[in-house]
Amino acid sequence: MNRTVLLWLVVGWIGVLILPWYVIEDGFWGLEWVLDGYPFDTDYGPTWAHLLEGEKVWLAPIPLFLLLPFLTGGRIKSDPLYSKILIVSGLGGLSYIVIQGFIVGIAGWEYTSLELLFGPLGQKQYGLGYGAILVSAAFLFFTTQGIAARGAVNGDVFVVSSIGFIVAIVGAFIFFPVSQILISALQDNEGVYSLGVFLEKFTDKKIWGLDCLYSTVGCGAAWNSLFLAITVGATTTALGLVFALVATRSGFKYRKVLRALTILPIITPPFVIGLSIILLFGLSGIMTQFFGDVFGIQPTRWVYGLPGIWIAQMLAYTPIAFLVMIGVVEGISPSMEEAAQTLRADRWKTFTTVSLPLMRPGLANAFLIGFIESMADFGNPLVLGGNFDVLSTEIFFAIVGAQNDQGMAAVLAFVLLCFTLTAFYAQRRWLGKKSYTTVTGKGDGGTHALLPNRLRWPIYTVAFSWTGFTIVVYCMILFGGFVNTWGLDHTFTFKHYITAFSVNWTDGGLQWTGAAWDSFWTTISIATISAPLTAAVGLLTAYILVRQTFTGKDLFEFGTMLSFAIPGTVIGVSYILAFNVPPIELTGTGAILVLCFVFRNMPVGVRAGVAAMSQLDKSLDEASLTLGANSWYTFRKIVLPLLRPAIIAALVYSFVRAMTAISAVIFLVSAEYDMATSYIIGRVENNDYGLAIAYCTVLIFVMLAAVLVFQGLVGERKMGRREPEKTITPASAKAI
Amino acid sequence: MRLSKLLLSTAIGTAIAFSFSVGESAAKGKVNLYCSAQEDWCQLMAKGFEKASGIKVNMTRRSSGETFAKIKAEARNPKGDVWWGGTGDPHLQAAEEGLSTPYTSPNQAQLQGWAVAQSDSAGGKTIGIYSGALGYGYNEDILKKNNLPVPACWKDLLKPEYKGHVQMANPNSSGTAYTTLATMVQLFGEKEGFEYMKGLHKNINQYTKSGSAPIKAAARGENIIGIVFIHDAVKQAVKGFPIKSVAPCEGTGFEIGSMSLIKGGRNFDEAKKFYDWALTAETQSRALEVNAFQVPSNTGAKVSPKAPKLEEIKLIKYDFVKYGSSAERKRLLKKWDNEVKSLPK
Amino acid sequence: MGIKSKAASVTFDHVTKIYGEHVTAVDDVSFVVEAGKLVTLLGPSGCGKTTTLRMIAGLEMANTGRVLIGDQDVTILPATDRDVSMVFQSYALFPHMTVGENVAYGLNVSGMAKDEAKSRAEDGLKLVGLSGYGARLPSELSGGQQQRVAVARALVLEPQVLLFDEPLSNLDAKLRRQVREEIRDIQKNLGLTAVYVTHDQEEALAVSDRIIVMNNAVIAQEGTPRDLYEKPADLFVADFIGDANLVDVQIKSVSGELAEVEMASLQLSLPHRGLKSGAAHAAIRPESFLVSTDQSSEGISGTIGKAVYLGNHMEYLITTDLGDLFVVASDVVNTISPQTGVKVTLASHGVTLVGN
Repeated sequence: MNRTVLLWLVVGWIGVLILPWYVIEDGFWGLEWVLDGYPFDTDYGPTWAHLLEGEKVWLAPIPLFLLLPFLTGGRIKSDPLYSKILIVSGLGGLSYIVIQGFIVGIAGWEYTSLELLFGPLGQKQYGLGYGAILVSAAFLFFTTQGIAARGAVNGDVFVVSSIGFIVAIVGAFIFFPVSQILISALQDNEGVYSLGVFLEKFTDKKIWGLDCLYSTVGCGAAWNSLFLAITVGATTTALGLVFALVATRSGFKYRKVLRALTILPIITPPFVIGLSIILLFGLSGIMTQFFGDVFGIQPTRWVYGLPGIWIAQMLAYTPIAFLVMIGVVEGISPSMEEAAQTLRADRWKTFTTVSLPLMRPGLANAFLIGFIESMADFGNPLVLGGNFDVLSTEIFFAIVGAQNDQGMAAVLAFVLLCFTLTAFYAQRRWLGKKSYTTVTGKGDGGTHALLPNRLRWPIYTVAFSWTGFTIVVYCMILFGGFVNTWGLDHTFTFKHYITAFSVNWTDGGLQWTGAAWDSFWTTISIATISAPLTAAVGLLTAYILVRQTFTGKDLFEFGTMLSFAIPGTVIGVSYILAFNVPPIELTGTGAILVLCFVFRNMPVGVRAGVAAMSQLDKSLDEASLTLGANSWYTFRKIVLPLLRPAIIAALVYSFVRAMTAISAVIFLVSAEYDMATSYIIGRVENNDYGLAIAYCTVLIFVMLAAVLVFQGLVGERKMGRREPEKTITPASAKAI
Repeated sequence: MRLSKLLLSTAIGTAIAFSFSVGESAAKGKVNLYCSAQEDWCQLMAKGFEKASGIKVNMTRRSSGETFAKIKAEARNPKGDVWWGGTGDPHLQAAEEGLSTPYTSPNQAQLQGWAVAQSDSAGGKTIGIYSGALGYGYNEDILKKNNLPVPACWKDLLKPEYKGHVQMANPNSSGTAYTTLATMVQLFGEKEGFEYMKGLHKNINQYTKSGSAPIKAAARGENIIGIVFIHDAVKQAVKGFPIKSVAPCEGTGFEIGSMSLIKGGRNFDEAKKFYDWALTAETQSRALEVNAFQVPSNTGAKVSPKAPKLEEIKLIKYDFVKYGSSAERKRLLKKWDNEVKSLPK
Repeated sequence: MGIKSKAASVTFDHVTKIYGEHVTAVDDVSFVVEAGKLVTLLGPSGCGKTTTLRMIAGLEMANTGRVLIGDQDVTILPATDRDVSMVFQSYALFPHMTVGENVAYGLNVSGMAKDEAKSRAEDGLKLVGLSGYGARLPSELSGGQQQRVAVARALVLEPQVLLFDEPLSNLDAKLRRQVREEIRDIQKNLGLTAVYVTHDQEEALAVSDRIIVMNNAVIAQEGTPRDLYEKPADLFVADFIGDANLVDVQIKSVSGELAEVEMASLQLSLPHRGLKSGAAHAAIRPESFLVSTDQSSEGISGTIGKAVYLGNHMEYLITTDLGDLFVVASDVVNTISPQTGVKVTLASHGVTLVGN
């Protein structure tokens, strides 16, 4: 028998015979269930125990489906029966588990029609537990192996299984919950479906009004969001490019320091940037006062609204643009630039005609991320929005505000989704079918062209002034944590840090007495778990998208971008709607937070991976394949090492986002799994900025440390290219 | 086999993720508390009840709107047991939608009339725990700096010299601002009330999203007058900001901070114990420890000398049943959107 | 220990490959590559030769037909599972690995112990003359050296079939000659089966046991280099291999093996190769012309258009009634200057009749 099939058979049968089928309320890893009536207790039993007691008879077909793959024993892959057996077993088993899960719920039959038909069930079932997870996984991989055996995607089991795996999890954790909430766009208050309700809400003036063009009344949230997102996308991309150029193409000595400073804002918890901008530019802000005193400029509230949000979002999202750009800018093959120079192009011409066009995938991806981030951002518009309404805040308050209109939120989310999908589509059109491959299997020892002079000074000016601004903002933040009351009483104090992070050394050992410790440790562990998962899922998806062709690929790509395009609030509520009841019951657990982060942040991993991978010559993969390595080995040994910048970007981003996300988290935290941001938001609501900022400062340092750890663990991509300022080393000179 | 290793490790990763499930239960039971007051007050309530009863409290703090949205989303399989704190409207809304369950506490006799009235209006599904009057606060320093007169009444805020200096929240997003709107409608009549809102609109520099944001902005000098609950203004003043609070001369509306038992909660008995405990004078007196200046509902509870005294404020007869109902609220909000918000400044 | 061979044959049995819906890259192609032989797939760009090679590698899958390596049907077997290795046009050296790691890569994949893989890799490098370069990064080697690393990397796996995809196209002329000879030597010495893709006919003639000429997704002709050169099956092959001059002729009569052919003023007897009387073509190799400045001698009259001195031979372009003829002459001492009138006759070899 095929070894992979055997492995999944073992896994599946463990799921059926040993592990509890249902989720255990007090936690699986507490292992209390082992001693507490296992296997015959209804709460803890594996499938066979339920059946033996004559309960939950609808589970009976599951082991039968799991028997089928034994029939593949002795058959070879190319036998049509081999694939047929696996597909029938896998697809049948999986669909059966899903269907029974949706039909029988916590109160018996889930559909009244079934109750009328069969009478009351008298039994109920909880969410799927470990047993069910293992069995489902086994069925999933039987299916993919069956499909691979039929010759799909060149018969590559790894690729087919990866596609199947990602389709399954994206379906379960993105499509399923999101559809739950989007459907409410079509429902009126009584839950009756009606297109009229949708149209009425959709055409609301609050969304599409254009009054701002000719009066002082604000425009609709849709136009505001769109304009803001385009502006932010364009400017963050430009800034990201500037920093990437300084980091790779300048002789500037302290490039590394600059680089670290650039990514600092990425690790800033929400609100903090907004608050420090208010303290700088607000009506009573330091800069406002300064200009008022020195130049006699009347203080205004200009910062509230578009300008303020724009500055704050630029600070917040330039680092992501930079992280995407740096990989691409580094990746451009120096020989292409050298080629242009030998064709009599000066540095300027080389830059504009060769380097810049080759950066297109980076530019497009950076813009897309900036655009989507800005669309979905919630914290900055909340603090700095003034009367500039944007979709994300409107959505939030449609759900939690006095209007309590989930349908409106769904409609707004739908509008937002349309925008982001359009941007996504436009990006693809712009990139077109051109090739951006610049890392080829030909060893390439050239040097990157330095920046042309007429570009250098503007770029330096922008980079340094922005860096300066960043430093000022951060000093303000640091300062805020060490004074009694920010903006009022600037006496130096440690009290905020003591309140949040005090420890006591007693006889019993170390005691974490600070108020913030609980949420702090939860946040760190959840971020640490979700970051590598996010990076793994994201890069695997990118690999499939760039390197494989299969039917439905466009839909597949769309699905992976979906969660990113939807604001956190909507995701948060949709996760509760979807995962509060069986078959997948996750509310109140840490897992729901981890999953939420993984699927919300995965698109960044995908984008970074796609951008970087489209630079890798496909013959590298093929060489590896013809040398006998399978796709998985190739992915690990060839693709991943060449994607190190993208890996770091994905890891850093997902770690940081897990630590700083708010809008989705608010709905998903529970007493045991409280997150730092939800703690901070409580403090901010209470005007307790000192404590909030002290906490943020600590988080910033944790995240900085994490960035360094990730850099250290992943390492740099070594390709033997020379540093721009170095001359040819003896070794390479000899070789040439 | 390498393929399987990947998939297996992914599976294990997922498994670890899943392993964060609901934690252990203490010997004396537990209660899941959804708290919508300020963080430190929530902490106090949770720890206080744990100490008093030995029952473990799993407390989650969210704003009242967020909590309502969460309870509604969880309705088919409730994860919370009791919802304590937050303005009364969402509690009434929850009662209206059948998300909470009626209960009569033995301590109900000790409560103020308005707290019991709140319970009666919702068929016993919610109860008042504290109350706070609506009003506004201003930043004394900046008011002086701009040579502006000191306001004392609602109508004062319509004066043209305050143009661009008044902030209130958007009633669509904030319960506070909705209370303001409903108060004006009840105080001046619907037609006059909306005229007032239109006049106010000219002076408003920003409709904030959150209810207490106007006074926080005033405290930091970003704004001069903020329409909020008076106890929120007092809190800023106590912190040392130059904020003065005003109980408007015409009279004003108020909120009733409420508590509800969530329908279908898994720890109903423990939740009831919490409910009774939260209504005691002793418990309510402890609000002072966390600078909460609302008026407690238990007649025997201690009130801070700094707290606004309800008996000194002219309170209107606020019709919580009518203005708390979702139909009336939707109507007023729609009208406000169309007739006030869309006006040019 | 050294590198051994497990050479196996390659069989294509009515193989068709269609990209998308309309682009037929390979159309019903059948051939056999015998074990231990080097066979070249030759043809212009887009003729399907690279797709054919990639189907042997398992990087593309045939839509119809069967592909066999040895006796095993590998039609739907992915690249990973085929005992084949490939040298890429772009070398495809892994830029983040040293030369040694690159060469040992396939060995490591196959589960060989680290030390053994390392020493085998060193053997491989020695074979291509790069001992001691194992610790370098590919970017620190010259193009020719990189290409040899790529060859070593493919060789050390002792594959059943070794594939070359235009391996020399990135090298300069001298290196090209040198490396191709090395490749041929290694292939012969080890008795490897090799399939070699190129568009350079000279390269093909130099290295191959047999050549398969492809054009427009089908095989135009298959044979030994001498066969193809001397007996091209059609105009395309004649033109593609060896820069033949193609001239119009009339077949007067056919008797026995020979045909009587009229070419301008010349009468020739040539093997008829199955052609009947009537209009036909003759492919004449550039070196098969004899050029005389003696105007009174027999032959076709012409005028020298261009004369190029190339050290060991001369190239002339001669304008005649037959059209412009491309002529190579070995006499570099008595060169003929342009505008000189000449008489052109044919040598006894290098003239072949070709059908349409």
